[in-house]
Amino acid sequence: MLALEPEIKSLIIETMALEDMAPEDIDPTAPLFNEGLGLDSIDALELGVALQKRYGVVFNADSEDIRQHFASVRALSAFIAENRKQ
Amino acid sequence: MGNQVPPLTELAPMQRRRLDQAGRMALQVAWWTQPEAEPAVPQVFASRHGDVGRTYRMLEQLAAEGEVSPTQFGLSTHNAIAAQYSIARQFTGNYSAVSAGSATAEAAVVEAQGLLADGAPAVLLVMYDVPLGADYAPFDREPQAAYAWSVRVQRAAAGETAICLHATCAAKTPSGQDSPPRLPHGLEVLRFLLGDQPGLSHQSGQTLWRWQRQATRA
Repeated sequence: MLALEPEIKSLIIETMALEDMAPEDIDPTAPLFNEGLGLDSIDALELGVALQKRYGVVFNADSEDIRQHFASVRALSAFIAENRKQ
Repeated sequence: MGNQVPPLTELAPMQRRRLDQAGRMALQVAWWTQPEAEPAVPQVFASRHGDVGRTYRMLEQLAAEGEVSPTQFGLSTHNAIAAQYSIARQFTGNYSAVSAGSATAEAAVVEAQGLLADGAPAVLLVMYDVPLGADYAPFDREPQAAYAWSVRVQRAAAGETAICLHATCAAKTPSGQDSPPRLPHGLEVLRFLLGDQPGLSHQSGQTLWRWQRQATRA
């Protein structure tokens, strides 16, 4: 799952149009939303669509677990590694 | 400002990242005209085509992939740029987003006049446009350019030169009488506002708009 982290970081930078950011600028354990990277709710939707497209993972928006999956690059990478369909 | 993407350093990178050229230009001139927060001053954002390139890209994506980007969708309304400005500046007052074909600049002034009549001390008017993409070329009716300008509209004080705008109902002039315009109409209006020509006429559909410079009594 650690192998996925750089890929997830690149996906986030590209999808969220984070100008002037490099993958190594993102702390894999930092929160993605609000504090930390500072993404917002629209980014969450955008990221969900991008991950679905790239890895075929489906998110259940009502699930309580989703907050944990989206907590950080590390959590997201672990979730994708376990649930990816492509 | 024309044909460039301004740095818009007033805006935090996380807010700036979602704005295209049109949005960055519009917000940049608005900020320059209004460097300090003025909660009592409403804003009128006017653009004939707005962020139409974004809408087109979204439609392309929908046709190709069957889904749209939530970010693009969230910014696809005509007032999205005005909304970004109000969020960035934390203004909770009145703003409007105007589009009125070839008379968009005139409609913006009418809107501003309404706000002044309603008690606003001044109105921030932002006029902007970017060229239509090649796919919309058949609809080009005026010269295309990327531009944005902003002015503060308020009542002329005694002794000041006032700008007057009149609209009359008028049939279209026979074609060939007017020389074709060299600038987008929004820039013709800006040239009139900044220059010293006494008037500017503009036919839009069945309406003839007349801008005039008039002295007021001291």
